[in-house]
Amino acid sequence: MYDDILVPTDGSDVANAAVDHAVDVASKYDATIHALFVADTDMVAYSLGTEQVDRIRQGNFAEMTELREDAEAATGRVLDRATAAGLDAVERHAGGRPQDVIADYAEEAGVDLIVMGSHGRSGVRRALLGSVTERTLRSTHVPVLVVDYVEEES
Amino acid sequence: MSAVPTLLQADLLPEGLEIGFKIVPAVIVVGMMTLFLGVGFAFKVADTDDMWVAGRSIGNLENGMAIGANWMSAASYLGMAALIALSGVYGLAFVVGWTTGYFVLLIFMAAQMRRFGKYTAPDFVGDRFNSDTARALAAVTTFLIGFVYAIGQARGMGLVGMYILGDITQVVPIPGLDAYQAMMILFMLLTIGYLTLSGMLGATKNMALQYIILIGAFLVGLFATGWAAGYSTFVPQLQYGALITALGAEFSAPFAGGSYYLWIATCFSLVFGTCGLPHVLVRFYTVENERTARWSCAWGLFFISILYLSAPAFAAFGTSLYGDQVGAVYGDPGMSSAAADVIVVLAAQLANLPPWLVGFVAAGGIAAAIATVAGLFIAASSAISHDIYANIVNEDATQRQQVLVGRLSIVAIGLLTIVFALDPQQPIAALVSYAFSLAAIVLFPMFFLGLWWENTNRQGALAGMTTGLAVWFVPMLNEANFGILTTPEGQTAFVPFLETWMPAIGAALVGVPIVFAVTILVSAVTDEPPLRTKQMVRQCHSPEPMPKNTTAAEVVADRTGETPADD
Repeated sequence: MYDDILVPTDGSDVANAAVDHAVDVASKYDATIHALFVADTDMVAYSLGTEQVDRIRQGNFAEMTELREDAEAATGRVLDRATAAGLDAVERHAGGRPQDVIADYAEEAGVDLIVMGSHGRSGVRRALLGSVTERTLRSTHVPVLVVDYVEEES
Repeated sequence: MSAVPTLLQADLLPEGLEIGFKIVPAVIVVGMMTLFLGVGFAFKVADTDDMWVAGRSIGNLENGMAIGANWMSAASYLGMAALIALSGVYGLAFVVGWTTGYFVLLIFMAAQMRRFGKYTAPDFVGDRFNSDTARALAAVTTFLIGFVYAIGQARGMGLVGMYILGDITQVVPIPGLDAYQAMMILFMLLTIGYLTLSGMLGATKNMALQYIILIGAFLVGLFATGWAAGYSTFVPQLQYGALITALGAEFSAPFAGGSYYLWIATCFSLVFGTCGLPHVLVRFYTVENERTARWSCAWGLFFISILYLSAPAFAAFGTSLYGDQVGAVYGDPGMSSAAADVIVVLAAQLANLPPWLVGFVAAGGIAAAIATVAGLFIAASSAISHDIYANIVNEDATQRQQVLVGRLSIVAIGLLTIVFALDPQQPIAALVSYAFSLAAIVLFPMFFLGLWWENTNRQGALAGMTTGLAVWFVPMLNEANFGILTTPEGQTAFVPFLETWMPAIGAALVGVPIVFAVTILVSAVTDEPPLRTKQMVRQCHSPEPMPKNTTAAEVVADRTGETPADD
């Protein structure tokens, strides 16, 4: 049923919450895990400047040290969990608008299930921060398993 | 006597300028901005599905044009000609300062900056001096520079806007706002809208195209004005010389409009401010290698010179036309600074050029201002969202949170600019030069010492930047530039002695040596920086060419464990 499972991650706790679910489903079907990190170009434009967007366009991602470290840490975590469970895993780093890249990748790589975390925000916080997960649901036809992340009371 | 006449009346109304709604020019402005967005959208960052695959790289020429476009603000497009028109030879300090700065940049900083390889100016300061406090100080300075710089642009937009759209308070009365204020607010809101839209469309700026359109508008305006008024045929940049004696001693006599000292101080501030401006330096981090960094600096200088060689000619034509048709340029009342700030548009209008052509020139001025403000606001938002928020406040910030903080800071700086631009006390070029003083005093010494003296350390940088910020505020407050304080009757400053020797417009002549001295002294008496930092500095000057797309930090990290070569 599921041969290729996609886990989009930005390295946050919310994203990591989904990894266990993905690995569990994948072990049942002996599926390949695809870990995908998307550098949000909006984020790059606002926080590093539009010139850095040029850099991504030029494919000079390798020298964007901090962003690269984030990307490697994020997908590396997924990869470690997958290999620990004896699964095949691949990673991919991409740039663009997260929901579009996720949808495109799912289609291109023949993914049959996307597993991703969500904040479960509502009201004003949702309107302000939006939800990549919600937008992904609208941009892909691949089944999506949404894992709500509940913040621990501290 | 102060070279830059202080404007005391609240109403900014350029005399002689035809104020009224003009449909064709309005369409041109909208068309220009739409074109920028459209081209940005067409060249938008297609989703790169694999970031490890090399894409197209930006060459010297294109990067040089980008530098030119980044640079070409309302201050260059309108303000420079304005100051030359008002103060004659004094205004040349801007032509000299703003071009010489690129030489210093070319020789001392472009390639080294590229080697260090950071994203933003505060990033460099934070990593070079291993200090979040230093990073925060640099970020705050970046934000302040963006804000002060933007006030000048806002003034330009408001004034030129009146030519294109007329007095909108006549159509929709807005209580408490005069024609200039209403127009300035309208265009600032348009700018914020433009930024949001370009963000939503994923349109990155296409700087080369922006440059071509803007320089085109300026040169067409100059040639047409010179031709129609009979001043020049093919080389207005030289032919305006014939006018110089006729324009009067205020225009042609050296230092009639300001003392020799003021000229030097202004020029000094502009030269070193250029080397410390975050939105200029940023172009050097992103190029392929240090060779490209050097060559794009040289091309950038060339593209900027095209504008700067033409601005004095425009000023001379404008001043002469004003004298013939509107009234005496010098003396009392003389040309107001508001009229001077639109001298480029005014000259085209007084030469009886068709409205669409004048509109084209005016549209260029507005587009230059909007594009520059957009760039400045992005630099300011990155200082807040990347350097302060993501690096200091919330280290685990997600990408979405950074976008949100970035957007909010753009709105905040936009509102702040509107409030302070309601009653700007100085002409565009002067407002912008305060930002240059700030960059020269606070950031330039950090970059220069940071790249050239490996023993500059955290304590030195912190002491230097704090001193710099304080030193910058003193003349600004002394001359009551923020409108918070009011100087005593009949005086333009609280302490006239300070105004003479440390004018806000040229504060760097005194400030830069002070900051250099403080930084060097404090660094010398405190511990040396860690070896890793020193190695990074050395790597920036290593005689071996560095491999493509590598940063000094990586080279040093690769060598950890090895003993560094002594040099």
